[in-house]
Amino acid sequence: MSYQQARWAEPLIFELSKPGRVGWTLPEKPRERINVPKELLREKLELPELSEPEVVRHYTRLSQMNYSVDSGFYPLGSCTMKYNPKVCEELAALEAASYIHPHQAEETVQGALELIYRLERCLAEIAGVARVSLQPSAGAHGEFVAMLVTRAYHKSKRDDKRNQVIVPDSAHGTNPASAAMAGYEVVTVPSNARGRVDLNALKATVSERTAALMLTNPNTLGLFEDQIIDIAGVVHDAGGLLFYDGANLNGILGKTRPGDMGFDIVHFNLHKTFATPHGGGGPGAGPVGVQRELEKFLPVPLVEYDKKKGRYYFDYDRPHSIGKIKGFYGNFGVLVKAYAYLLLMGGEGLSEVTEAAVLNANYIMRKLLGVEGYELKFDASGPCKHEVVFSAEPLKRMTGIGAHFVAKRLLDFGTHAPTYYFPPIVPEALMIEPTESESKEELDRFVDALRTIFEEARSDPDKVYSAPTATAIGRLDEVKASRQPILSWRAYRELAKE
Amino acid sequence: MGHPYIPNTREIREQMLREIGAANIDELFADIPPQIRLKRKLKLPPAMSELEVKRHVQAILAKNTPFTQMLSFLGGGVWPHHVPAHIRSLVQRSEFLTSYTPYQPEASQGMLQALFEYQSMIAELVGLEVANSSMYDWSTALGEAALMCARVTRRQKFIVPELIAKDRLSVLRNYASGPGLEVVEVGYDHRTGQLDLKQLRAELGGDVAGVYIENPSYLGFLETQGDEIAAAAHKTGALFVVGVNPISLGLFKGPGEYGADIVVGEGQPLGNPVSFGGPSLGIFACRDESKLLRQLPGRLIGATTTLDGKARGYCMVLQTREQHIRRERATSSICTNAALCAVSAAIYLASLGPRGLRDLAELCASNASYAMKKLNTIKGLRAPIFDAPHFNEFTLNCDDTHVSIQKLNAGLLKRGIQGGKPLRAEFPELGKTALLCTTELHSRDDIDRLASALKELLGGKG
Amino acid sequence: MKEGNYDVPDGLYYSREHEWVKLEGKLARVGVTDYAQNKLGDVVYVELPEVGKQVKQVTEQKTKEMELGAVESIKAVSAVYSPLSGTIKETNAALQERPELINTSPYNEGWICVLDASALEAELKQLIDAKAYAEYLKKL
Repeated sequence: MSYQQARWAEPLIFELSKPGRVGWTLPEKPRERINVPKELLREKLELPELSEPEVVRHYTRLSQMNYSVDSGFYPLGSCTMKYNPKVCEELAALEAASYIHPHQAEETVQGALELIYRLERCLAEIAGVARVSLQPSAGAHGEFVAMLVTRAYHKSKRDDKRNQVIVPDSAHGTNPASAAMAGYEVVTVPSNARGRVDLNALKATVSERTAALMLTNPNTLGLFEDQIIDIAGVVHDAGGLLFYDGANLNGILGKTRPGDMGFDIVHFNLHKTFATPHGGGGPGAGPVGVQRELEKFLPVPLVEYDKKKGRYYFDYDRPHSIGKIKGFYGNFGVLVKAYAYLLLMGGEGLSEVTEAAVLNANYIMRKLLGVEGYELKFDASGPCKHEVVFSAEPLKRMTGIGAHFVAKRLLDFGTHAPTYYFPPIVPEALMIEPTESESKEELDRFVDALRTIFEEARSDPDKVYSAPTATAIGRLDEVKASRQPILSWRAYRELAKE
Repeated sequence: MGHPYIPNTREIREQMLREIGAANIDELFADIPPQIRLKRKLKLPPAMSELEVKRHVQAILAKNTPFTQMLSFLGGGVWPHHVPAHIRSLVQRSEFLTSYTPYQPEASQGMLQALFEYQSMIAELVGLEVANSSMYDWSTALGEAALMCARVTRRQKFIVPELIAKDRLSVLRNYASGPGLEVVEVGYDHRTGQLDLKQLRAELGGDVAGVYIENPSYLGFLETQGDEIAAAAHKTGALFVVGVNPISLGLFKGPGEYGADIVVGEGQPLGNPVSFGGPSLGIFACRDESKLLRQLPGRLIGATTTLDGKARGYCMVLQTREQHIRRERATSSICTNAALCAVSAAIYLASLGPRGLRDLAELCASNASYAMKKLNTIKGLRAPIFDAPHFNEFTLNCDDTHVSIQKLNAGLLKRGIQGGKPLRAEFPELGKTALLCTTELHSRDDIDRLASALKELLGGKG
Repeated sequence: MKEGNYDVPDGLYYSREHEWVKLEGKLARVGVTDYAQNKLGDVVYVELPEVGKQVKQVTEQKTKEMELGAVESIKAVSAVYSPLSGTIKETNAALQERPELINTSPYNEGWICVLDASALEAELKQLIDAKAYAEYLKKL
């Protein structure tokens, strides 16, 4: 199987513009005089002028130069690039979903309220929590909200000293960043030789200043934190809360639940585990679930059901709530897709998702262990979960070629590169998450590609150094891009003049 | 039978287990302590076929009345506009839809170039040089703008108008609570709605990081003192932040032209459906100054060339501001944003062009003008309550009648009309007032229909 | 002199955090070593300290008061720690326009700042000479 991405030297849309062209029509000419002082009116607006077919062709060509899950294998670690069912798209696009206004009288949006309510119940059951807010727009947003809830909780206990949040050294960057945004001092706890949180180090790190520990389980190495019960005990005994980063939920659906592990706050990534499309960087949704004691701090509003009146309503009567963390109620369009996905899978289907995902990752792990150049830095004796992190350090030692070049060469095989250089505790890391959406053949192809790259690195390194060549464009000067940032068409045009 | 989304059937999985030397699938979960193993099935609705899911979800959604099936005058932070059909067909292309953050620029030039074009168009619209490739929404963009002002100026106070949307204020306070920023509200002229400049100048000491206004304001009127507010802020070393509805900028000056250092706003009306308030699109732009650029949150796409200098290309730049590198010292924790909505916005702006956007903005404002004129002729009603120019939203007051806004809205609903948002909970001092919005979706007949219905309701029978 | 692929000029003092110090009377000119710039990769931005800032000599436990600034490549940010305590007298403005000087000329044009050292005699004992630094590099 050979791969070749489309290649267009597609100009910027501004460069295709011609005065007088327009790509749309308006129903009626304005008739009423608008009383606005002249000095507020703009004189000029430089936007492209194109007809509809030109706009369509331009963006169609751009789309052809963009790799996606629907194009091929996309094993980005901790991103869960699984298949996005198309029926979910159809449902979110229905008029009854996309043409409703958030301020409409509640009796006219009972369907939306019911869907939010039902989705909340499902997520609460999956994670083992009491209530869930569907308001946050993304994982990092959910983490930020969790930190605000944490602070509200400790404040309610008049516990002012708790200004520290602990994260493992393998944590995803959004964790410490979200904690810092909420005003916390971030303290790192190291991982042990088994790749898990060092329990003794954790015991030495918690104190009366600990507000929370942020953890994902399985962790970013794809390993299950098997000492989680002890970890929870240590943090709770110190008076802190336990926050679960739900990025890796795909590794444990139906097998165990964060709530049962002892987590007080759980966040979800609907655009990961629950198959809503990533959209090239969003929109997503990052709901936050909590145990009963923390329920009152959740953002307003929550959806409740009035049994007597037989209707759903928004509950704003929540005096301890942290308030709002986004306009309106969350990314409703994304919620519709996630809800439909849950119905398509059912409880047993979700367990099967996890089994297939975990098996795929373990399959890659075993097969790749048999390929020279790649090794596991941690514990290879037990299974991994839904993702596995290899190190290309042996390859680098032997040939000077590390994870960065492996990633670039993989693109030529019609595969998106795994996450690399993360987690920071593994040198030359290749973080591989296959998901349940990949066939055995696809996994075999991937392992073969890595084997081929190893061989090329040894015998024909130029092939690797010159990669990628099958993509729309070859290696870019990213250093120049950051040294002298050109961030708009206007800036580009002015520079071109010089 | 296999599952449609899981290519490896049970047979294949059994074969794979054998190949890796595992006796069964449970072995791969053996490291989960038995005390936390889920010993029952998840209590979720049973799996449905695609056909059944469609029916089920459609039945739930059928309990909604889309505003296309009634006459709605709602706005207030998310506005109903016509979304040209080609936008959806383009962003639904799975190469855009099912891709992720363009970490491998060589394989993701499509998304990168589209987002670079979005950045460029937003920069033109707001009159500033740099726009990022999106935030979650207007309110969180505002929160991040306040944090950015604090970082740049190293000061702790942020000034907002009293007439700020209360939901946005709540979000802002949450963001401000992290570093302990003080949010101070400045009053307004009760006749014109304009910011009280005297009060503003009194608040502007050496400790103010930023001054924020919304233009058009939440209540629909235009702030005409932009230049003066900018001057007052800059004189004391504070930054000037303006929040916008981008459609209005088809007609009005971009805030960069009257001194804004940062512009935030809601990009939803640019080619994205209302969708019950989300997905949304946070606009964030700033002046091209090193001290601002370094503190800008969110992703930035830059133009460059291939290593051999022969071809043009695009990639993420200045990533050292972001969470995956700076971690707790990042300018923001934002990772996933609203990229696809930004691409929709770019396609929308490219399709309308400057003329189209101006015509659209004019029609929206014209409809509001007509609506205010008509509603003012009804005894007891006053629209708007502020003596100032308006864009496409306005306030409607019925203090001089015997009914409440809620009662009027209930009567309107019976006639298939969704009235404006009641404002009493947010601004009790404004009395019985609602916020109404008109766009190109409204015709003169629609507005006449609203007027007749209100007349009828106030005339007696409700 | 050279240690393997790295330049280690004589006449300078070095720290284990890979900074060099050139004594100029009571002043100390500071930069990062050839080894450091190699590990950093292409430098795209340098965060310079403010003139007048007081810094402390770096110790095992690193704190903010020991930071002279930071050097950024496209994929990483590295703090630059002060090899001596003192007050910043001058910073290298050329690095704003041409951060790549750190890569091309780490010991000359790529200098970062000049310090008015407050405890020179005592603290120099913590630094090592070219020979010792070269030995140190061997072990890394």
